[in-house]
Amino acid sequence: MTTMQERRTPQKPLDPITKPNDGDGPSKPDVRKPGGGSDELLKRLRKIDPEQAKRYRQRSGQ
Amino acid sequence: MHRLVGIETEYGLVVEGRDASHQMEEAAEVVRSLARKHAPGWDYRAESPRRDARGFTADRLRFDPEDAKLGKPGETFGDAASRSDRVLTNGARLYNDHGHPEYSTPECLSLMDLVAHDQAGERIVQECARVYAKRTGRAAHAIKNNTDHQGASYGTHENYLALRSVPFESYAHALLTFLATRILYVGSGKAGSWRLSEPAYQISQRADVFAEPIGIDTLYRRPLINTRDEPHADPLEWRRIHIIAGDANIQPYATALKVGATCLVLDLVEDGWQPHILLRDPVRAIAQISRDDSYQWPADTDKGPIGAIEIQRQFLNEAEHRYRGRDAQTDWTLDAWKATLDGLEMDPMTLADRLDWPAKLNILRMFLDEDGVEWGSDRLVAADLEYHNVDPDASLFACLETVPLVSEERIEAAMSRPPSDTRAGIRGLIVDRLTDRIEAITWGGVELRTESGTLRVDLNSFVGEPLNDWVTTLRNAATDEELLELLKRGSK
Repeated sequence: MTTMQERRTPQKPLDPITKPNDGDGPSKPDVRKPGGGSDELLKRLRKIDPEQAKRYRQRSGQ
Repeated sequence: MHRLVGIETEYGLVVEGRDASHQMEEAAEVVRSLARKHAPGWDYRAESPRRDARGFTADRLRFDPEDAKLGKPGETFGDAASRSDRVLTNGARLYNDHGHPEYSTPECLSLMDLVAHDQAGERIVQECARVYAKRTGRAAHAIKNNTDHQGASYGTHENYLALRSVPFESYAHALLTFLATRILYVGSGKAGSWRLSEPAYQISQRADVFAEPIGIDTLYRRPLINTRDEPHADPLEWRRIHIIAGDANIQPYATALKVGATCLVLDLVEDGWQPHILLRDPVRAIAQISRDDSYQWPADTDKGPIGAIEIQRQFLNEAEHRYRGRDAQTDWTLDAWKATLDGLEMDPMTLADRLDWPAKLNILRMFLDEDGVEWGSDRLVAADLEYHNVDPDASLFACLETVPLVSEERIEAAMSRPPSDTRAGIRGLIVDRLTDRIEAITWGGVELRTESGTLRVDLNSFVGEPLNDWVTTLRNAATDEELLELLKRGSK
């Protein structure tokens, strides 16, 4: 095993979604991007009510 | 995929002004808020949750004693009104499972169909929450996660059709090591823990809850391998591998990889292969791997300490050797699996656009940096929950640029239309066109009222191969009478 310091420079894994002759496999998507980016994310984060963590008590499921 | 697969998701539920003591009734109300065409009810006669794949029937299933304290005195659960079952035109089932709106996708043969239907389920549950809020004046949110961070867990289960001719022990033997290590890409991340030492952040929402390697229970002292023997198909020919050791995934890529890789491991077992590296204690290993924030993930195996990535590679390498080139979905899974393990080895955060736990960790770190929030604080746990909120106007996940897998049109279509190549296509068509004639409905069949008596449409006989031609024939029936006649002739 490598240590964190020994790791290589991070690279994005190849995106396996689009390949020629994929047949009925996954194809290049044509979708809306969910959006907002980091500004919207920060806005939502700052609106979060910390009390929600205490209130969020759930029944046990499977 | 070469087998039927479906995913059941129990959603967490937040209702303004209501607490856990009201959750049973509010979940039923949320489900009853479904404003889409559906058939009410469910035929429970075919269900046998106490039948054990090891060859016996359990006397009882255990319940969580802590959970009972949250209920109202005299609380009952299990009657038709509280369960509020609905079967949708897309072949899915929506009901109240012990206080959780549960969405079970229709059976799929295509990985991308399954991803589309899983995402369709998020939107349908969100629709229900919106209608409920409008009707009652109480805001409601559905949370696609597996923990309340206070001791309760609820499941996301995968169901895989498998061969009866392969001993259950062969599946269990391979899956114990596979499932305990696949949390590297299945985990959806969790701030904190509720047992053992307290890490700031762990990979899996579910790793805390497993107490046994193998067992029948799902509510208490949960096992990594569930032995429920309820095939929903001919029991002489088929099993259902009911996997409860997985997290709810919001990232579609994680859903596809989770299911695709598991299908390949089941293929390997059915071809007689078994892993050569085995975890000594899978229950302990899944908790340790989940908590290891060095991201080295060492595990105790019968060959000594070995990293979880290398343990996963034994499955990947064998599947690559045997199945590369078999079909596009297999090749996609092999590529995605390899790319993910490589990414985890190099730097897990490079996978934040496709896996849930790195994505959420990125968000929480941003919160820490920007606002001075601390690990373990209520604000951070609240942010953790909001990642999983399926309301696009509140969800933190919805703000991210992530790898989508299926088109918006395909997800929209999946909200009302079933897969066209599985028995779900027949079920959905019946719900759509013969709703008023349905007397009983379940995974394995539908009973229809006709002028000459009850017609039983046996769906158990339609699980072995793609059904495109038969579903198309049924869809093309010009009248309800013609459809009934075709169903009558087609039923075995």
